[in-house]
Amino acid sequence: MNSFEQKTYSKLSSDRNDRIRTKRRRSSVGPSDSNKEAKKECDLMAVIVDSGAYTIKAGLSSQQNSTLIPNCIMKAKSERKRLFVGNQIDECRDCSGLYFLLPCERGYITKWDVQKPVWDYVFSKNVCPINDNPVIVTQPLFNFKSIQDCMDEIFFEEYEVNSMFRLNPTDLARLKYAEELKLKDDVPCVIVDSGFSFTHVIPYINGNKYLNGIRRLNVGGKLLTNHLKDIISYRQYNVMEETYVINQVKEDTCYVAENVKEELKIAAKTGSANHIVRNYVLPDFNNIRRGYIQDPNNSDQKEKEESCQILRLNNERFIVPEILFHPSDIGMKSMGIAEAVVKSIYSCPKQQQENLAKNILLIGGNCKFPGFRSRIYADLRSQLPQAWEVNVYLPNDPISYCWEGGRPLLRTPDFKNFLVTKDEYEELGSSIIQQRFNTWMIDNSTANEEPKRAVEVYKYLDKLNSQTIFGKQDNGNNSLETKVNKENINLSMTPPENGDSGTPISLGDEFDLGTGSEDTSQDSFQQPTEPEIISRTARKANLRNNSPENMVSVNKDFESFTSDDLTNSAELFPLGTGSYL
Amino acid sequence: MTISKSTLRGSNRLKEGDKRRVVDETSRKRRQRKVMELLESDNYHDDPHADLVMSKKIPRFDDSLEQRSTRTKKRNQLVDEDRAEAEANKRVSYMDIQCEESPMPPRHFCAVCGFLGHYSCLSCGTRFCCIRCMDTHADTRCLKWAA
Ligand SMILES: [Zn+2]
Ligand SMILES: [Zn+2]
Repeated sequence: MNSFEQKTYSKLSSDRNDRIRTKRRRSSVGPSDSNKEAKKECDLMAVIVDSGAYTIKAGLSSQQNSTLIPNCIMKAKSERKRLFVGNQIDECRDCSGLYFLLPCERGYITKWDVQKPVWDYVFSKNVCPINDNPVIVTQPLFNFKSIQDCMDEIFFEEYEVNSMFRLNPTDLARLKYAEELKLKDDVPCVIVDSGFSFTHVIPYINGNKYLNGIRRLNVGGKLLTNHLKDIISYRQYNVMEETYVINQVKEDTCYVAENVKEELKIAAKTGSANHIVRNYVLPDFNNIRRGYIQDPNNSDQKEKEESCQILRLNNERFIVPEILFHPSDIGMKSMGIAEAVVKSIYSCPKQQQENLAKNILLIGGNCKFPGFRSRIYADLRSQLPQAWEVNVYLPNDPISYCWEGGRPLLRTPDFKNFLVTKDEYEELGSSIIQQRFNTWMIDNSTANEEPKRAVEVYKYLDKLNSQTIFGKQDNGNNSLETKVNKENINLSMTPPENGDSGTPISLGDEFDLGTGSEDTSQDSFQQPTEPEIISRTARKANLRNNSPENMVSVNKDFESFTSDDLTNSAELFPLGTGSYL
Repeated sequence: MTISKSTLRGSNRLKEGDKRRVVDETSRKRRQRKVMELLESDNYHDDPHADLVMSKKIPRFDDSLEQRSTRTKKRNQLVDEDRAEAEANKRVSYMDIQCEESPMPPRHFCAVCGFLGHYSCLSCGTRFCCIRCMDTHADTRCLKWAA
């Protein structure tokens, strides 16, 4: 499979054992839903396309595996006569200094002059032709309306598909998860989707996304690769132009530490006591096409490598993925992935919280870092109540997992009726059909209870914090700083001010929650006092509370829509817009 | 691939007097913003084919589609539209699901070597762990961004 599979880190194997153990335990969790299971083979065939910002996973539902296609156009310095679209990059002789044209900006398609040719390539004769099949295509959460308009137009008018359905990748992952572990179809679960552009935490209750529990962390694989590029360029070679190569270095060498402080102690050692440091042989695109970790015991190889450039990787191996868990490491004002899961669970109705903790699913490329699963598990275990059962499931292939969810989707009773046909698109237009896509698997029927609960949750967390379960404030660190302060006088350095750091800022719209956070960055490192937290939460909860009666439906009575609302049409929605799973 | 063993990027040894110069909060913020932009950038270098007349090789939409304004919307515009529409319809928007700040105190790593950085630079606030790393920092990245 991928490079991760070939490496033999002790980290990896322990992680995998965890996974197997979880699997075994899990299979005893719920008795298989046998009556549904035996039900009908898939009679409906479709082209399933999980169109991610970094890779597209495409294939006919009858195929065993999807094809993985880079979602970009690349330009090589060595070949000035051509462009490389998607997998054509395999034909490129020299991949140094590759220049990327990416269709997505922070996960959302904005460059259609790049996206269209890549899709053309994906749907071409030799890759994944559509023919007359229905198309199931993914879109990111909260996909913007004009992007959806474009997608409708391209698929119906340019590709002339007969019928189409569009949904979030995690909707598919949820179906696959229930199927794979033989759980109830609507098992409550939290999906952590950590991809190229960002990381989403999405709770599903009764088979639907629970909107108030969703969190987005603006850290993804792209940021990690760029950070690795930056620190290598500062410390060793200038590799700023080698995104392609350094991304492979990241995939081949990085892992998630169980305990960063302990790991740093080992990385500080010299000689054989440091089992972290690795030499990485960079590709020269002459003899070596893909870089790899040097084997210190293979002396034959060593001679061959003499002319190669070697990268030395030490604490970089685990400090880079750490950003997912502590975005504040690079000055980003955001909680980390495990905190976000906790936050997400506590934002859901109380009676569901414990069930959600039992079913946490990890998908997306970042989950392939060795140690990722066990770290998330450990962090969650320490932050969630002891009495709760916590299960974290990492699929064998967290990248194609969503694509694999296409088959259970097609097996869903009456799914055929949910496909939007070309005729319907032409008659009803984009807005109506988009409503059909966007109200699928969504629930915020309990939004009105939100503000009270939010405050309670914070109080609860504060209590935990005072018990140092949550905050994990390291007193040892503080004492070190005090010691340092004394030394500073002699060294004529500034004493590190309490809480001072690399000045975190708001990054444009991404970080501005509309609560004036831009201006508060100065005190951002102080622990917020309780009233502050509550007022901020309340404000935010209010914002959410104002939410959607008209946008989303689900458990709500279907009839409660106004009569001119087309979602009320029995013809359009034979089963209602609610969940039927 | 040929990468020259680089000397550290940039290297202006600061004069003693300059050491007193302190980068103000605004410039530090600006520097941080630049770093964040760099971390989200698609490429560090310029298009290697920029000097070629390649544009006609890129498959394009036909003209009628090309004219659609929706295709050229900037991301900020999309976010703003989404926010406005969400407000009008009282629904959760893209911006609402952004993670909150962490209540945990930030950790500090040496910008030069990556180990725990207990000291901070007098001029710019960057973290480092020892005198050696401080010197390296002062020789390279310190104040480089402030200009
Ligand atoms: Zn250092
Ligand atoms: Zn400095």
